[in-house]
Amino acid sequence: MEKGKLGALLEQPPRSVSCNGYALEEKQPPPPPPAAPSRALERPRYSQGTSARCLDGWKEERTRSEEDNEMNLPSLAAAYTTILRSLGEDPERQGLLRTPWRAATAMQFFTKGYQETISDVLNDAIFDEDHDEMVIVKDIDMFSLCEHHLVPFVGKVHIGYLPNKQVLGLSKLARIVEIYSRRLQVQERLTKQIAVAITEALQPTGVGVVIEATHMCMVMRGVQKMNSKTVTSTMLGVFREDAKTREEFLTLIRS
Amino acid sequence: MACRAAGEELPRPCCNGYSELAPADMRRALVQERPEKHSREEAAEGGELPALEDAYLSILEGLGENPARQGLLQTPRRAAKAMQFLTKGYQETIEDILNDAIFDEDHNEMVIVKDIDMFSLCEHHLVPFFGKVHIGYLPIKKVVGLSKLARIVEIFSRRLQVQERLTRQIALAITEALKPAGVAVIVEASKGQGDTKYQE
Repeated sequence: MEKGKLGALLEQPPRSVSCNGYALEEKQPPPPPPAAPSRALERPRYSQGTSARCLDGWKEERTRSEEDNEMNLPSLAAAYTTILRSLGEDPERQGLLRTPWRAATAMQFFTKGYQETISDVLNDAIFDEDHDEMVIVKDIDMFSLCEHHLVPFVGKVHIGYLPNKQVLGLSKLARIVEIYSRRLQVQERLTKQIAVAITEALQPTGVGVVIEATHMCMVMRGVQKMNSKTVTSTMLGVFREDAKTREEFLTLIRS
Repeated sequence: MACRAAGEELPRPCCNGYSELAPADMRRALVQERPEKHSREEAAEGGELPALEDAYLSILEGLGENPARQGLLQTPRRAAKAMQFLTKGYQETIEDILNDAIFDEDHNEMVIVKDIDMFSLCEHHLVPFFGKVHIGYLPIKKVVGLSKLARIVEIFSRRLQVQERLTRQIALAITEALKPAGVAVIVEASKGQGDTKYQE
């Protein structure tokens, strides 16, 4: 019953109305949940993203493999060579000779989240514990790439959840952050993906995720505001309904 | 001896990006290290923008992303313009910014401008690194407008750089312009991953 309630809550419109890549799906009536895939944990609690409308970033499907990386490396390197030349640099000078390859490998590393899925990371680290108090892991360093400018944004993630008979290995929370942050991201979507992944895996009573980050695209270019931070949060379940729980979470991550 | 920066065996002392130049050219090349200015101006006027956009489009595809989704539709253009902005130092020269801001002053005590924010791009991986620059010099009869020191930092940092070369270029530019008794430049920077590199 709790699960149904949580599922219903996930189907509510997000608190922010700005379009962030998946707001489109909410205007349609929820399609029936797909047939369960082979992964044991896959019990979708929400109806967004279950069709081919949004193929990547949102769904957990593995879109890339190591072989893909190797196959794509030459074309990525060629693209970077074009970029160097178009910027007026000389790609033949010593410092830049291997830069296209290094930059391509670096970019593949920064987007390695596309190669990983939650079930890879979580399959064996969910434990039955009779603990129903809040669990918080805070100050998880996060490095991601802004999908609009391909420039990094870095910050900290704070995660809290109220377990419902199942707890998660603590480092797995950090790994969930890694999987979703090492992609081309929008901070709003990243926050929600982390929260939904934990909800799917554990079916807790509630989940809260807060991310505060500095966007290099704002610091290094554009408005050039050095000290501004962007804060986004996603509260699901009892964290959304109950103000006291939310307050406790926000107080504890601030201290 | 192997050069760590370029990852190749080199038959000469470890390179720092400009040891390939003959010594006579070094000073000139360090201060104005770019080819004919008009090709840079072409790049600035957007002549190269389509090529950059195509390159970024193929990067998005090569990474396994879907460039047609809403969040990525305009990304090639935005990323191309961002990259042009981040390398705009190639279009600027020291003479442009300094020509009228050198003043005769009978001041021979140290002048320091510190905590100048700096943002640059690592030329090896095209990853941003950023931090602070501290500049000090001992003038002999000539001082420079203080904001011009920050502009010198801007010119050299908005390029594909190596922190060592950036530091040296700033110091040499001030030396050439003012001929002071001495110049010191310290750059402390990191790539945002928790480590900091100090370069003097």
